[in-house]
Amino acid sequence: MHSLEGKVALITGSSRGIGQAIARKLAAAGADIVINYRRTAGSSFAQAEELNKEIEAMGRKTLMVQADISEKSSVKTLFAKISETFGTLDYLILNAAKAPFKPIEKLLERELRQLVETNYMGNIFCIQGAIPLMEAKGGRIVFISSLGSRYYNPSYPLGSMKAAMESIVRDCAESLREKKVSVNAVCGGIVKTDSFKVLRQYLENVDKLPDDLIVTPDEIADVVSFLCSPASRGITGQTIVVDKGLSNSLYRSA
Amino acid sequence: MSQNIVTEEKVFEELKKAIVETLRVDADSIKPESSLINDLGAESLDFLDINYRLEQAFGMKMARHFVLEHVEEMFGEGSAIDDDGQLTEKAVELLKIRFGDQMGPLEPGMDMDEVPALVTAQSISGGVMDILASLPEKCTHCGAQQWTSEDGIKIKCGSCGEPAVFSNGDDLIKDWLTKVQEEKKIF
Repeated sequence: MHSLEGKVALITGSSRGIGQAIARKLAAAGADIVINYRRTAGSSFAQAEELNKEIEAMGRKTLMVQADISEKSSVKTLFAKISETFGTLDYLILNAAKAPFKPIEKLLERELRQLVETNYMGNIFCIQGAIPLMEAKGGRIVFISSLGSRYYNPSYPLGSMKAAMESIVRDCAESLREKKVSVNAVCGGIVKTDSFKVLRQYLENVDKLPDDLIVTPDEIADVVSFLCSPASRGITGQTIVVDKGLSNSLYRSA
Repeated sequence: MSQNIVTEEKVFEELKKAIVETLRVDADSIKPESSLINDLGAESLDFLDINYRLEQAFGMKMARHFVLEHVEEMFGEGSAIDDDGQLTEKAVELLKIRFGDQMGPLEPGMDMDEVPALVTAQSISGGVMDILASLPEKCTHCGAQQWTSEDGIKIKCGSCGEPAVFSNGDDLIKDWLTKVQEEKKIF
């Protein structure tokens, strides 16, 4: 039941949405949780605090750290705090993402830099920060991707970063093999989190998709939990699609 | 033509409803001059939620991008926001023309991240009114001139019953920018 007992997990961007569901799931499986969020005020900070209380009530240790993963110094502080509090890290869940919604050719230089700095460089900073804490006994890295990595979505430049990260998952699975760190990704379909509020403004009628094609954050979190558990020890370098079959079929009757 | 079927009061009432549902605040705490971020605790994603609810209510499309984003697209990167992420003098001049006193205090050199906090309930309802004012004279389906509304919110054709079609918020901002640029040559 508590297969992750005594382990420590960092979930980037865990104040809301899929990140929050993963934090809850790994805590339920026994792990101590590092909650990371970017903004120090407003509703996401309030949600991070609520999550923190909830996980503490489950009897797990928690650490809340504000950090913007796009800034190297901020990521350094994040891992210094984890080292100080737990002295180790077992699971790194790369969930945080932030992107403008517009066609690639319309991105301003500033937006393009932000896109790459958060969703590509930021994730690499986190991998670099996690390795020294995992080195002694191995660990698991799970990246949260989306179908935008392989299919066109209007006004979704984030998809190209997801594709780049799925490639990094393959690379790092090999380069970190010696350190006994497995690296995998979970590629989600359409999930009704806060980001869906953005999506439905660009995908006409997406909210009319039948519910049985919509993935819940909890369903994504279950697969992440599996990828952290001993049961998945044979898997590395893979991206597992969790989309209720949305991408599986060329044709659907209206 | 400027429509007079949906009143400003009705728009504000619907906006209040959308804000209450999104932010779970007390309706009485929402004043025209309330900053959604500073006074009502909104975050950027919440704006999308509020816009979405307004779109569903009125059957139109709100702007997806803020006016300064359109400026940079039309007049080049750096025209509204400089390399340090701060508002240019021209950006401030333009925002003052567009929003008058509906937005909080604006100054050149202000950080772009502070701009969303200047959005007030009034500036959003103004945006809705602009879109509703784009109601064409005649129904685009049957050509009749009989706009009507049962609830004072959704406008439909009194002849064929088809819903009214409005210009979308982004197009209206672009049209407005073109006009202002022609008149004032800011950029």
